[in-house]
Amino acid sequence: MKVINNLKYTYKKYGFLLQQLVSRDFKVKYKRSVLGIVWSLLYPILMMAVMAVVFSNVFKFSTPGVSYLAYLLIGLTYFNYFSEASNLAMSSVVANFSLINKVYIPKYIFPLSKCLFVGINFLLTLIPLYVVIIATGTGLNWWHLLLPFSFVCLFLFTVGMGFILSTISVFLRDMFYIYGIVLTIWTYLTPIMYDISIINPTLQFIMKLNPMYQFINFARSIILYGNCPTLGQFAGCAVSALVIFFLGIFIFKKKQDKFIYYV
Amino acid sequence: MEKQDIMINVDNVSMRFNLGIEKGFSIKQWFVDIGKHKKKPKNEFWALKNVDFSINRGEVVGFIGSNGAGKSTLLKVVAGVMKPTKGSIEVYGNICPMIELGAGFDSQLTARENIYLNGAVMGYSKDLIDSKFDEIVEFSELKDFLDVPVQNFSSGMVARLAFSIATIVEPEILIVDEILSVGDIAFQAKSEAKMMEMIGGGTTVLFVSHSIEQIKKMCNRVIWIEHGVVQKIGGKEVCDEYKKYMKNK
Repeated sequence: MKVINNLKYTYKKYGFLLQQLVSRDFKVKYKRSVLGIVWSLLYPILMMAVMAVVFSNVFKFSTPGVSYLAYLLIGLTYFNYFSEASNLAMSSVVANFSLINKVYIPKYIFPLSKCLFVGINFLLTLIPLYVVIIATGTGLNWWHLLLPFSFVCLFLFTVGMGFILSTISVFLRDMFYIYGIVLTIWTYLTPIMYDISIINPTLQFIMKLNPMYQFINFARSIILYGNCPTLGQFAGCAVSALVIFFLGIFIFKKKQDKFIYYV
Repeated sequence: MEKQDIMINVDNVSMRFNLGIEKGFSIKQWFVDIGKHKKKPKNEFWALKNVDFSINRGEVVGFIGSNGAGKSTLLKVVAGVMKPTKGSIEVYGNICPMIELGAGFDSQLTARENIYLNGAVMGYSKDLIDSKFDEIVEFSELKDFLDVPVQNFSSGMVARLAFSIATIVEPEILIVDEILSVGDIAFQAKSEAKMMEMIGGGTTVLFVSHSIEQIKKMCNRVIWIEHGVVQKIGGKEVCDEYKKYMKNK
C-alpha cells in the first residue's frame, strides 16, 4: 500500500515532466522532416522489404507453413523497439547532465521517458505489422488479445536494460561503443530472420535463454501459428522481464547519487 | 529564534571531490590498473569543509568569495543536486533553483514549447503554466517570437525567457547564481525589481554574485566563503572585509 501511495505521489509530481520529455522527443524527431510521423510506419516496412529480399532470395531462408514476411516483421518490430529504446536510454543520463547538474529531478525519469517515447513509436509500427499480417493471408485470431502481455514484458525488460546501461555509461563512456557491437551480435543471435530449428539442439537451448527470443516467440506462436502460448512461454517472458527490470532498478538506485561526480 | 522560522539548516556539511575521477573512466585505464592490487592514492579535494549555518524565513543571504571558493557547490548541495559527503542539510519549503538559467531548454523547440518543458523541469504543473502563460510571455517581452525555435534566439532573449519562467511562481526559497546580469539594461532593471518584489513577499533568497554592489543593495546577511571554509557570517560589513582581502591577495 505504501509503495502504491509513493508511486501515486511521484506520478503526480513528475508525471507532467515525463509527459513533456516524451512529447519533446516527438517534436524534435519529426520537426524538420516532410513525412514526419509517416516515417515510423514506413521504416519497418522498408527494413522488412530489404531483409526479405536478402534472406529469402539470396540465403534461401524460409519458414515452412507460414509467411516469411510476417515472420520477419514480428521479429524486427520487437527487436527494433528494444535496440532503439535501450540505446537512447543508455545515453539519456549522460546527455542530460547539464540538467541533472542544476536542478533536482529524479534521474530515472530520463531512461524511462526514452523507453516510453520509443514505446509509442512501437505501437505505431503495429499498424504496418497488421497490414502485413492481413496482406499475407496470415489471418487474425482471438489469441491476439494476449499480445499486450508480451508488450508489457518487452517494455519492462527494456526499461531494466536502460537503467543498467545508463548507469554503466556514466562511469564507463566506452559503453556507447561496446553496446553498439553487443547489439549487432544480439541481433544475429536472436532468431529474427531465421528459424531457430535450423540450429543444433544444444545451441538452441542456450539461445532460448535470450529474453528477446522469449518475447518474439510468444508473439509468433499467437500470430503465425494461432496457438495460445504455453504456460512455459508466459513464464519465460514474465521472469526474464521482471528479473532484468528489478535488477535495473537496484543498480540504478544504488549508483545514482554518484552520477554527479562523473559529469 | 523560533524553530519554525528556520528555512534551511546546514549542519556541518563537508563535500569531497575526487579529482582523479573527474576525467572519467576509460577502459584503457581499467586494463592498465587491473594488474595493480593497491589503489592509487586518491587526489582528494574538499570543496566544502564543515560548513554550518542556518537561514531563516525571509532572509536574503548573499554568498561571496573568490572563484572556486565553493559557493556554487554549496548552492547545489542546498538545492539537492548533490548529496554532501558529511553532515546534513534540512530544507523546509519548496526550492526554486535559478542556477544558470535555461539549462532545461531544448534549442530545437519553440519558445512556447520550451515554456512548458522548462516549467515541467522546475516542477510546475500543467495547470499552473497554463494560467501563468500570458504573464510569462509578457514579462519576457517575447510575444512576437513565441513560435520561433530557441536556437535562433540571442543569448539575452534566452536568458529573459528563462528568468521569466523561473520567477513566475513565488517559491519559498529562491536560489540565484549570477543571473541578474542578463538581458539589456532595461531588462536588468526589470528583473532586479522583480527580485525585490519577491524578497518583499517573504521569499527566502540565496544569492551568489561577484558584484559587491548588488550584494550590498539586496542582502541583509552575507556569508563569505574561501577555500570551502566559511570565513565570516554577518551583515554588510563582511563585504568590506572581503574587498580588503581581495586587494591584498
